[in-house]
Formats: sequence, C-alpha cells, structure tokens
Amino acid sequence: MKRIFGLILIIVTGSYTSQAQDDLVKESFSNTRVMSNHSVELLPKRSLEFIVAHKFGDAAGATGGLQNFYGFDNLADVRIAFEYGILDKLDIGVGRNKGVGLITGVMDGYAKYQILQQKTVGMPVNLVFVSSLILPYKAATADSSSITSYPSFVNRFTFTNQILVSHNFKKRITVQANIGYNHRNYVDYQDVNGLFFAGIATRARFTKTLGLIVEYNHVFNRPTSIAGNYQDPLSIGFEILTGGHSFILGFSNSKALNENLFIPYTTSNWLDGQWRFGFSINRRFKL
Amino acid sequence: MVKNSLQFTVFFLIAAFTVAFVNKENRIAPYQVDTPGQLPKTVEEALLSVGDKKPIHYIAKFDADSARMGEEIVKFGNLLDGSNKRVSKYFVCTDCHNLQLESANPADESPEAVLEYSKKNEIPFLPASTFYSMYNKRHWYNDDYYKKYGDLVKPTRDTLANAIQLCATQCAQGRAMEPWEIRTVLHYYKSLELKISDLKFGQNELDKLGNLIVNNKAEAIKLIKSKYSETNHAHFGTNAPPNVPGYVPSADNGKYIFNFGCLHCHDPETGITNFTLTDSELSLSFLYRKRNAYNNYAVTHITRYGTYAMSGRKQYMPMYSFEKLSEKQMLDLLEYIKVGSGH
Repeated sequence: MKRIFGLILIIVTGSYTSQAQDDLVKESFSNTRVMSNHSVELLPKRSLEFIVAHKFGDAAGATGGLQNFYGFDNLADVRIAFEYGILDKLDIGVGRNKGVGLITGVMDGYAKYQILQQKTVGMPVNLVFVSSLILPYKAATADSSSITSYPSFVNRFTFTNQILVSHNFKKRITVQANIGYNHRNYVDYQDVNGLFFAGIATRARFTKTLGLIVEYNHVFNRPTSIAGNYQDPLSIGFEILTGGHSFILGFSNSKALNENLFIPYTTSNWLDGQWRFGFSINRRFKL
Repeated sequence: MVKNSLQFTVFFLIAAFTVAFVNKENRIAPYQVDTPGQLPKTVEEALLSVGDKKPIHYIAKFDADSARMGEEIVKFGNLLDGSNKRVSKYFVCTDCHNLQLESANPADESPEAVLEYSKKNEIPFLPASTFYSMYNKRHWYNDDYYKKYGDLVKPTRDTLANAIQLCATQCAQGRAMEPWEIRTVLHYYKSLELKISDLKFGQNELDKLGNLIVNNKAEAIKLIKSKYSETNHAHFGTNAPPNVPGYVPSADNGKYIFNFGCLHCHDPETGITNFTLTDSELSLSFLYRKRNAYNNYAVTHITRYGTYAMSGRKQYMPMYSFEKLSEKQMLDLLEYIKVGSGH
C-alpha cells in the first residue's frame, strides 16, 4: 500500500524535463482500457468505439493443455461494448458480458471524466475519474444462500469507482496507478460489501504500432477467512495498432473482463497454470 | 452503504449527462456591417464600378445574420442552435480549408509563398484552398480534379454553389446541403472576400489604375484581376520520390509542414482520423521505415494519392496537389521525417 502511494507521489511530484512548448501529452494508452481495466485515455468527442473482447479457458493446469487446446475450447468471458465520447473529457459506455462464476448475463455501464491532462510543461500527470456499475439480469436462484438469490432488485448491482493517475515518459512509456472502491450490494455471509483496491499498469511502445502492456491490481481488505481463495489479477499482453482497428492480445489469470467482476472475483492462480489467452478488438467510428 | 454507493454512482452518471447536454459551443459574435462609402473597399465593388460582369454567385445585399449562420456551418457543420443536422459526421470545412489569406500577396499563391506566409503567421498548411477570397474566384475543381471526381466536377467549374455542394457530398462525404444552407455559406464567403487593401499595388500601378478607370475600363479590370488569382489550379502527382537537382531540403520547413499540415488532422486530439501521429520519434520512425512502401503508410504515396471513400469507411484523406505542396516541400517533409526519426 505504502509503495503504491509512494509511486503515485513520485509520479505527481517528480522532476520533469523542461520543454519549450506547453503541449498536451497525447496517446498515453491506445484505448480506453489498458487490458481489462480502464486507462486514462478517453475517446474524442462524437467518437464511438465498438469493442469485442474474449478470454478463454485455462491454458495450463488441470483444465488446460492439449485436451482443451490450451484453453481455446473453453470460453471464460466475452464482452461486447459500445463506448462514446460525449465530450472530449467525458466518455460513457455500455456493454454486455457473459460473466464469470455464479454471476452471468451481465450488463455494464460507466462514465469516465478527465480531470487533468498531462502537458509537456506544467502538468505532469493525467488524472481521470471513472465510475462503473454492473447489473446481472438473469433470474435469481431459489437458493437463498447464493449471492445470486437477489432478495431485492438493488442487490443485483455492483459499483466500482476509481481514480486513475498516469505519467507518460518520452512518448514511449506510460505508467498508470489506480486506486478504487468496489461495492457489491449482495455478498456471501463471510465476505464484505466494500473492497478497496489499488493497481498499476504500464505500456511500453516498441514502435508506433506495437507495444507491451501490463496490468495488476491488489485488493486490500478482503476478510482473512476467505482471502486465500482469491488472487490478484495480473495481465500481460501486446497491443497492435493498425490505424482503423486496435488489437490487444494477452494472458491473464482473471477470467472476467469487467472491473466489477475481476476485482472481487479473481480466483485463478498463475502458478497453477490458471492463466488464459484473451484478446480485444476495438474499432472506432465517427458519429 | 448500499444506498450511499448507489446514490453516488447515479449522481455521477446524471451529472455527466447534464454536463454533456448543457455544454454549448461559444456562439459566433455578430458581424459588423460596413457603412457604404464613396470609395470601393472590396475587389468586387471595384470591379463592378468599372463595369465588370457580376459573378453567378453575386450577392446584392450582404446579410450579416446569414453570414453568421454560414460561419457556424463552416466551422461546426451545423447551426449551433441545433436547428439543422450536421452536413458531415466526418469533417467540417476547416479540417481542409483555412479562413484567412494564405500568402502575403494574393497574386502569388504558390506553395512556397504560402509556406513562408504560414510560418510567419502560424497558419495551417492545408490541402484545400482557403475560403478567404473564395468568393472572388470564378472557377473551382479545376484541372486534375476531373481525374478524381469525373463528370461531377463539370457543374462546379463555373458555379460556386455547385462547388460547395460537391464539397459537402463528396469531399466531406456528407449529406446534400439545403439551398438555404448554401446561401448562408455564400454570405459567409462574401464576408471573406478580397479587400482592395489585400491587393499589392505599386505606386506606379495605382497611378496607372486611376487613369485606366477613367479612360479604359477593360484594362482597369485586367489590372485589378492581375493582382489575385481567379482560379486555383490543381495538378496531381504520383508516389515517385521527388527529384529536384541541386535542392537542399529544409528540415525546418518539413517540421512546419508536418506539424501544421499532417497533424492538423492526424493529431490524436482532433479526433478526425483513427490513424494518429504525433511530432515524436515514435511516429517519425514509423513513417521513415515505411517511406518506400507502395501503400498508404508511405508519405509520398498518401500525400500525392490520398485515399478514397469506400463502403464502411467513407472518411478519406484528400491529396496535396503540386499547387498545395511542391516537390521541394515534399523533400523538406521527407527530410524532417528522416532527421526526426534519428537518421
């Protein structure tokens, strides 16, 4: 925790090379997501982004290997989403997820606002606030002990609010830190509704069209009685940009594609071979 | 806790939508209508006073409110009160056209003169002709534009209203403009017409003009018209790397062309195109590596050919004609890409 806040402090207060122009630093990330979690990037005004994202089954471990063609025969999650830039500093988005575990058939939505934008002189960071929610729409189960029994409609909701801070170093490397609060309205009796988490993500561009991206999040206040069941989501991948489309190809231990699901519900362990291939294809349109 | 979280998120979403919908562009200030004086202020007034023929798009009475509406359509694609639909969802006019004089002398609109004046005044270096003095032109979509648009250019060659319509439907890949919309744009062009003070006369020429106005009106018209161009010529090139013997390329000029030409649309902040570029080693290295390719990533190829609208991707890039980017300037641009990429 201290290290993460220390890193944010370094990013915010670090020394910066003085340059002649007071220009905005652009393209900290190629998309509105780093891999699964949000990035500080926003869509231009009146731009619509269509996203198709997949995560497959375990590549190795007990359910992976050749018998399931390294996970490609199983589908962990799929998300189809539309995101729209209402203003240059304000995005909204809606999506539909297959969902993971007990929570399936999930609609999601978010709004993202850019508070600060990095400049070559004067403003060292991007600062973005993003608020998202999910609504699982499938019928509640009859089992009253299940987290999907939903005694009332409001129990279906999960919310995540995050602050994202990033700094771009000489166009090639971007480091992003995030802190957030995830609130599930209905949880298991051993669990807690509110989870505080923080994470770090980075993008290193080899060329204009190829980059390496890494994303990691840690949950702080999970009850010790169940903490052993959960893992921190860690994803590593590549981005390939073509101008019209952008592709993200990567590996992750988390199955879900939405922060309201992979923050509280990641149970897969990299060390047990429970990592999977995933990709997203993004296409941007002018409206 | 449940209620708090729900309320907070819902509040944020409502606030976000509220901000989005109450946000309005700044309206354009009303025009100041000049009081008619005894001496002509505009080139058109001067020409008509010596008996020149009125253009097809002649506006007998300038209407400031129409011009303001035209300016909104030119700059934003529609009226800011939302009473009409955007002409194009891909472009606004100012993505390709400037609104001010592009050279110190309207008689010299060569790319070299334009670049020199642009650098001095930080004017975008764009592939299409400026709207300033568009009202004073008599021919549009000239020369090689026939190769690109075929017979569509024929009605535009002598009629400005038709040229505006072609620009809206083909260049901007938008809808056909209503007649009233075209009229407002014409009124806006009228507000950007050439003034007598824009023309560069020597003292001898002014004396001569004074005599001609009295004694030979046809020659007076000819002299006035020699001080600006009535036609923007357009000749298209190929992707062949320019060969200008003895020319030493200027990376400084190239930097200006890249920043005020290429990045006018390709800057990520503009949102005009999905293929974004920045003035960085990352982008310049990419362009340098692709410089000899026969595809849209090669600078000479994309700049001279542009791209074409196609089903599913209607938005396209216009090309720079030789009249808008000379072969020397292409070498300048390539030199900057080379230097900027560390080679």
